[in-house]
Amino acid sequence: MSAPEELPKLLGDCVHCGFCLPTCPTYVLWGEEMDSPRGRIHLMQQHQRGEPLSPAMVQHFDACLGCMACVTACPSGVQYDRLIELTRAEVEREHPHSAADRALRRAVFGLFPYPRRLRALRGPLRLYQRSGLDKVVRRTGVLERLSPSLAAMERLAPPLGRAPRLPERVSARGGRRATVGMLTGCVQREFFPGVNAATARVLAMEGCDVVIPRNQGCCGALSLHSGREDEARRFARRTIETFENVDVIVVNAAGCGSSMKEYARLLADDPAWAARAEALSARTRDLAEYLVELGPRAPRRPLPVTVAYHDACHLAHAQGVRSQPRALLAGIPELTVREIADPDVCCGSAGTYNLLQPGPAAELGDRKAANVRATGADVLVAANPGCVMQIADALGRQGAPMAVAHTAEILDASLRGLGPDGFRTPLS
Amino acid sequence: MKPIDALAKVCSDVRPAYPEEGVLGVLPRFVAAPAGVAEAAETMRAAAEHGLAVIARGMETRLDWGLPPQRCDLLLDTHRMDRIVEHAAGDLVVSAEAGTPIEKINAEVAAHGQRLSLDCPIFASSVGGTIATAAAGPRRLLYGAPRDLVIGLTVVRADGKIARSGGKVVKNVAGYDLGRLFAGSWGTLGLIVEATFRLHPVCEATAYVSAVLPDAAAAHEAVQAVLHSPVVPAAVECAAAPGGIEVCVMVEGVAAGVPARADRVSSLLGGADVAEEPPEWWGRYPDGTTLVEITAPPAALARASWLTGAATWSASGHGLLGLEAGPEQVTETVNELRAAHTAVVRYAPEPVRDALDVWGPVPALSLMRRVKDQFDPDHRLSPGRFVGGI
Amino acid sequence: MGEALTRLAERFTALLGADSVITDPVRLRTYECDGLTSHRATPGVVVLPGTAEQVAAVVRACVAEGVPYVARGSGTGLSGGALPRTDGVLIVTSRMRRILDIDIPNQRAVVEPGVINLDVTRAVRDQGYHFAPDPSSQQVCSVGGNVAENSGGAHCLKYGFTAHHVLACEVVTPDGEIVELTAGGPGYDLLGVFVGAEGTLGITTRITVRLTRLPETVQTLLAAFDSIESGGAAVSAIIGAGVVPAAVEMMDALSIEAAEAAVRCGYPPGAGAVLIVELDGPGSEVAHQFAEVERLCRAAGAFEVRIAAGDAERALIWRGRRSAFAAVGRISPAYLVQDGVIPRTSLPKVLARIDALSAESGVRVANVFHAGDGNLHPLVLFDDAEPGATERAEEVSGAILDLCIEHGGSITGEHGVGVDKSRYMPRMFTDTDLDTMQMVRCGFDPAGLCNPGKVFPTPRLCGEAPGVRKGVHPLVEQGKADLF
Repeated sequence: MSAPEELPKLLGDCVHCGFCLPTCPTYVLWGEEMDSPRGRIHLMQQHQRGEPLSPAMVQHFDACLGCMACVTACPSGVQYDRLIELTRAEVEREHPHSAADRALRRAVFGLFPYPRRLRALRGPLRLYQRSGLDKVVRRTGVLERLSPSLAAMERLAPPLGRAPRLPERVSARGGRRATVGMLTGCVQREFFPGVNAATARVLAMEGCDVVIPRNQGCCGALSLHSGREDEARRFARRTIETFENVDVIVVNAAGCGSSMKEYARLLADDPAWAARAEALSARTRDLAEYLVELGPRAPRRPLPVTVAYHDACHLAHAQGVRSQPRALLAGIPELTVREIADPDVCCGSAGTYNLLQPGPAAELGDRKAANVRATGADVLVAANPGCVMQIADALGRQGAPMAVAHTAEILDASLRGLGPDGFRTPLS
Repeated sequence: MKPIDALAKVCSDVRPAYPEEGVLGVLPRFVAAPAGVAEAAETMRAAAEHGLAVIARGMETRLDWGLPPQRCDLLLDTHRMDRIVEHAAGDLVVSAEAGTPIEKINAEVAAHGQRLSLDCPIFASSVGGTIATAAAGPRRLLYGAPRDLVIGLTVVRADGKIARSGGKVVKNVAGYDLGRLFAGSWGTLGLIVEATFRLHPVCEATAYVSAVLPDAAAAHEAVQAVLHSPVVPAAVECAAAPGGIEVCVMVEGVAAGVPARADRVSSLLGGADVAEEPPEWWGRYPDGTTLVEITAPPAALARASWLTGAATWSASGHGLLGLEAGPEQVTETVNELRAAHTAVVRYAPEPVRDALDVWGPVPALSLMRRVKDQFDPDHRLSPGRFVGGI
Repeated sequence: MGEALTRLAERFTALLGADSVITDPVRLRTYECDGLTSHRATPGVVVLPGTAEQVAAVVRACVAEGVPYVARGSGTGLSGGALPRTDGVLIVTSRMRRILDIDIPNQRAVVEPGVINLDVTRAVRDQGYHFAPDPSSQQVCSVGGNVAENSGGAHCLKYGFTAHHVLACEVVTPDGEIVELTAGGPGYDLLGVFVGAEGTLGITTRITVRLTRLPETVQTLLAAFDSIESGGAAVSAIIGAGVVPAAVEMMDALSIEAAEAAVRCGYPPGAGAVLIVELDGPGSEVAHQFAEVERLCRAAGAFEVRIAAGDAERALIWRGRRSAFAAVGRISPAYLVQDGVIPRTSLPKVLARIDALSAESGVRVANVFHAGDGNLHPLVLFDDAEPGATERAEEVSGAILDLCIEHGGSITGEHGVGVDKSRYMPRMFTDTDLDTMQMVRCGFDPAGLCNPGKVFPTPRLCGEAPGVRKGVHPLVEQGKADLF
């Protein structure tokens, strides 16, 4: 269905009950109808009826994090995710952002989806962090004044360690149960290489041959969730080609997994690709989802640590994966899982949001960090690199740095019998 | 036409008042006892036409409460309005005229295993009087006061028109709830003529668990333990007793469940007696020539130094203190109480009444006056009996 | 925007700051309705105050300009109680959402009006308490809105309504004063009449709510019946046996179909009606009565009884019921929800009549209701794109309310009268009844600026003494008001 036909039908599903309001991060922040999903749908309806895309209107669409908590909360099945994507695409087409905004967007979309470009940044960032200068710079707030967005990028960069290069194939241990492809992601690969290594080890220890294609690129998540659909389609086609010959593609970054599950819809109108896209979406699994499907085989060793599990929006809301990571964590002897208050409310990372809307993103990060601290846990566990960076940053700002880990790293530590001391505390 | 003739024309029972029928010493000119709602309305209309000040009288259980009226021409007696209008047993609802004693309702509905869960500290209080004075007893803790149990109210306005609010169903939010407004309005807004109450099933079993604690702080600890436990007491009452304060917890429910709950209460109280009957002071107004009612949050018990002599405390946050003392001592006690709580003097001898402010400070008084002016612009209904001279 | 509104917007900006005042027409329009979308009006100005003093200042400014104002919380009302005025100010409390105090020894909490109902319970659950009123929208509706509407919920059968759980309210009166209304203090129970007055007597800015001990045990069963009649018989038997359940809910086949489509609740296939019965309280008490309830359900013809083994299964049973309203959106393009109440014993008769109404008119009606207290929620389904369908649905809807009144019930059990049902008020109450209620309003708000046009079909002229006519009032002449 094309957008002009699809939109009115999707908009008509909303009965204005308001169940989405308390789960919407911007409504939580500002308490304004226009910055709630219900209000945004109302704005979309106004536009549909002929109201032009004014700066006022676009501002509220831009402020949406696309976290999809409202999709989970909606009892009427409103596809807000689709609505905001369609709307964003239209904003991109019809409503030029300001020159400064455009430059920033160009920078973001020209950088993050390209691992090699990210890698090029690593050297300078690493030098900068080692020098201790970053603390001074952060304190003076010079960056903040120059550009809040650049400052956000700077703060989010985790301390970089040595990045191991993964082989193209990791063999199963103790009898092969499956062969899986693994997406390494862009940010994950460049900023959290340890997570990818842990993911590969865990899969191998659970009996999977892990195929890690060298030539894989960006899955297109950031572009797709920002209304840059053509760009997203380009990334999608390439990713489909790369993974066409494995049975299952395991993804450890929530945003990537959710966008790959959307390929079917993204390429539905493209006769050459529709079937291939659908097949790929059907074969995509989040790591936790896959491990629970597969069932545990490798023995878990005790890991005496208390963790707070954070639901990444693109995992919980977009993919409905909530119980699986908790079940995996709970299966580790001596490990305690604590719930974080208001689990449905986004941490403010939301893809590129913390770069494009640093103000509200920081506020949301602060709220999330406060809730994380209230759990009294030792380690924050999440399955999305953006979330980890965002919350770690906020915890650092609050003077309460906490170790962070991906679910894969926790499992890896348990399967390998490592102690709980190996988890990183960034920005300390 | 003279007022008494005008009244006699519309009401089947009208006579001059007897000298002993004064309301706190203010002698009415006439007494009218209408036989039903329609007659009551006509009587009120006649009173309006002749500018008569009207005071309602039910079973005379609280007529000597509050302040004396500024004037009283007509005592409107409701004792002939004592019909139970409808008992919808399947719907757990009963409607009765204002002069019906609460006991009569209970006798009627008991046949169907039901009851009106409103304790009457004074035997044979009428429906109208109970609502008008917002009277309640120990089980207010679980079941509430008249404001919570009245689901429909019919009143006759100062101008003699009949007005109804609420209805015959428990769940109902259509229109303003005048039942709650009239509860505790002391006859100053209109004449209550009929009320509909929600009922509850009679409980199979009841147990009273009592223990004497050394002082208010200890009693408070015990009461808190019960309140924060899941035993769901119907009432928790305290009274001054030899050796300290007696705490008595009422548990009611199915026969299979009550003993276990009573045992649990007993252990929460640190070992207590379980009885089928309440202690003698239960649900009564304490003795004394002056009665002070105290309203405070439940935890006020911890520092309830006044809880000695003739005094009781309900965990719902209501205390009653009976005093047998002169104006100065009563004034001192009441002022002390008012430093931290709300304290209203319910009844007192004339010298005491004259010496102090019976009602005490009243928030939102100007709003109350404005409401009064709407309902009774000529100030003919129980004038001067209520707060702020209303 | 009129001149008065322009002046007010400037004044509000000076008082509250620009980020708390909305004047842009596109933004204003998002406030044009609450949970009831059939009535819409774009407010003249929206303000988002943060304190009682700001609310009072806003109200005083409105009064000075003679401009009407309406308060709104989360905007979830189903009777249009927060429908704005195009010539007025909408005061939104969504930024007043702090829980100010939790006082467990005194079993109470103090909250601002924008606090979400369920957040009160979330804040005290670990200490063994909850805020008992549980409207279906509890995860989003505000406590201030609950106070205005005297909200109930599935469990109010046992625990009562908001009025029974509010101990005090700080209120900005319609003349801009801040007063404290309390239950049980000396003087009139103004709190009692304020709760449920649908925002026509002032705006609450701070609420002291009662906290209720969580029950020791909760037991829930789902019973499936062939027909609504046998389900209704089970309800009568349960109540007749002297059981006071925490909740008794019923759904008919059409609403089950909708819920199934929305949330796959897995109710027994082929059921003409399902009954959800929940008991709570002390363990020994509940165990005994629950066995009795189960027996009575089977005796009334239940062909399947499922007993929730834990919280997860209980949630599953409730999921279908809780989603029912919104779920109907999946089987019908549009629907009207009614909220009539009937004496419980009239349930079979009235439901049969609703069936007949539906058959005669060809308008489908799904029934979801609080069976324990006779509160019906007939969902009248229609296609708003079809000419005349809306009118037919409204006709059926009105006829259902007439049925409720005819059987001694009420036109609204929990949604409120608002703007939606004010025209039905004269069917339930006499002119004198309504006039008497409006005396309270005249006492609070003689100027008639506080949420005007709600609850009552016609405003009362407060200057007029009842029954006394002093010439024709200009508003009567203009046909804008009636004298009683």
